[in-house]
Amino acid sequence: MAKEPVRVLVTGAAGQIGYALVPMIARGIMLGADQPVILHMLDIPPAAEALNGVRMELVDAAFPLLKGVVATTDVVEACTGVNVAVMVGGFPRKEGMERKDVMSKNVSIYKSQASALEQHAAPNCKVLVVANPANTNALILKEFAPSIPAKNITCLTRLDHNRALGQISERLNVQVSDVKNVIIWGNHSSTQYPDVNHATVRDKPVRELVKDDEWLNGEFITTVQQRGAAIIKARKLSSALSAASAACDHIRDWVLGTPEGTWVSMGVYSDGSYNAPAGVIYSFPVTCKNGEWTIVQGLAIDEFSRKKLELTGAELTEEKELAYSCLS
Amino acid sequence: MESENYELKRSINRFLALYSMAKDPVRVLVTGAAGQIGYALVPMIARGVMLGPDQPVILHMLDIEPAAEALTGVRMELVDAAFPLLRDVVVTTDVTVACKGVNIAVMVGGFPRKEGMERKDVMSKNVSIYKAQASALEKQAAPDCKVLVVANPANTNALILKEFAPSIPEKNITCLTRLDHNRALGQLSERLKIHVSEVKNVIIWGNHSSTQYPDVNHATVTPANGEEKPVRSVVADDNWLNTEFITTVQQRGAAIIKARKLSSALSAASAACDHIRDWVVGTPKGTWVSMGVYSDGSYGIQPGVIYSYPVTCDKGQWSIVQGLKIDDFSRQKMDATAKELVDEKTLAYSCLN
Repeated sequence: MAKEPVRVLVTGAAGQIGYALVPMIARGIMLGADQPVILHMLDIPPAAEALNGVRMELVDAAFPLLKGVVATTDVVEACTGVNVAVMVGGFPRKEGMERKDVMSKNVSIYKSQASALEQHAAPNCKVLVVANPANTNALILKEFAPSIPAKNITCLTRLDHNRALGQISERLNVQVSDVKNVIIWGNHSSTQYPDVNHATVRDKPVRELVKDDEWLNGEFITTVQQRGAAIIKARKLSSALSAASAACDHIRDWVLGTPEGTWVSMGVYSDGSYNAPAGVIYSFPVTCKNGEWTIVQGLAIDEFSRKKLELTGAELTEEKELAYSCLS
Repeated sequence: MESENYELKRSINRFLALYSMAKDPVRVLVTGAAGQIGYALVPMIARGVMLGPDQPVILHMLDIEPAAEALTGVRMELVDAAFPLLRDVVVTTDVTVACKGVNIAVMVGGFPRKEGMERKDVMSKNVSIYKAQASALEKQAAPDCKVLVVANPANTNALILKEFAPSIPEKNITCLTRLDHNRALGQLSERLKIHVSEVKNVIIWGNHSSTQYPDVNHATVTPANGEEKPVRSVVADDNWLNTEFITTVQQRGAAIIKARKLSSALSAASAACDHIRDWVVGTPKGTWVSMGVYSDGSYGIQPGVIYSYPVTCDKGQWSIVQGLKIDDFSRQKMDATAKELVDEKTLAYSCLN
């Protein structure tokens, strides 16, 4: 326990994803079994009592790794000194709301949180945006926190990546830990492209093992794209457990590094690789080492994939325009 | 340099993990798995919090028919999380299928008290459930299956389960008071403004109810590089320890409900993992924990109820810590909670007739 504690912020912490996420962080799933943590939990004033209830439960769980808890509705207090920020809080889409309305609400939130993070977070703070529209919220955050390095602002597509691994493992009846190197390209939305062209099971290409291109190019893709809705239909609630778990995976691999020969998917600030639009947060295949992610370059992209990459890129460009129009 | 060591360490850990992925999976049953505690608990189990980061698991999840779709949703999310340790998931509303071959059973499912229900009604519903599940467990579970009852009334549900599964060794049937134990540690750590890992050896005696007795008479505080000292002398406030501390721990469940508008799933799930982990892997030297176990008459408690005691664990077995001094104040409290358990037992048996 000689390691200095790492401060981890979770916004929207009184909600469902927060409730699933904070015990995972407190047990070392995000940063390792030997890394003490201090949790910063932020939510809005109407959720203050519930947030305090979560704080009470964290005390009641007597977690050995949890060195402190800050539970607050004050964004400055929440952001002070944080090394990792997981932005789960956002304005959810309600019935009757137009896309523009959801975008408008979230743009305001992420603009002001950008400011607080930039001014109060620890240097080199790593940021993961989960709240939807994740890619565009992350972009807004990046734009309004110019002193946070662009490479430190990411969004979650690890959930989609893990879902893709899960679908392949079920199809092939193999252990999910034997499936690797799927890719989620683009937007964490229904235009995401789950790509198995470079995926393997114990070094054998997935395409060869599945032997069903129609499924891989059709139902597999739509299943992964629409999985969120399928979970809501079954549970009557959205996917908190798997989203929280994916957030832990995203941060852990970013901080501790990806295993040799394996990449993961992260929404990162696009440099135009693979002809994706530059200047949006786009999900790419990445490896991680020494606390930094690097896009896996040089992967062959077939015609089918090219169209899908472009489609999701176009949606992100459109969202960016919509977001900026909300700011004017 | 640090990052090189880190990489080396990670490579070694990965090698070890791969090598020990050779371990046979352990089958863990969670009943009431579609509910809130289940939802908090299953990812903890799947990440190795319950049995260790090198122990593969197979989850069995049981719930009632009305929850079948929600249960499927949980299974889908477990697939979606791509947990390396999770070898398989069995999802069912059939208790026979659920119990088949399980090595550990965490009984979270039960009939919740609803507004207007009398204590006898809640007891009656739960007695039926635990009688039926006892039968299935006895017939289907793996030999030496370890059972943890969480659903309230936990002690009496566990007792019914024991009574109707006579071929399950009575030492294998326990109930959860680790939540209360952890809550007591948490209260002391807040009071003393120290880290919770510096406090140990509180005891929860008796029933997981408002008559439980959180006892600090043998608890100690050991600051890092410091001397171990009795909690009573460090707190230096017997009045608080004998009143507010006790009632805070006893009523903590209600306080959580008041704040969250929902009951304590996160901390209950975490305590269930601690209970099983310490039971299976063993308690650290010099430390005991609290578990609801079948009373053998220790400390003058009537045998034949499930009573929470201080225990150490070694090689998969718990042993009651013997020889602790019990003062008059404690004696009274321990007897009061024992009496409640005897009353509950009587009530439970009357429901069966």
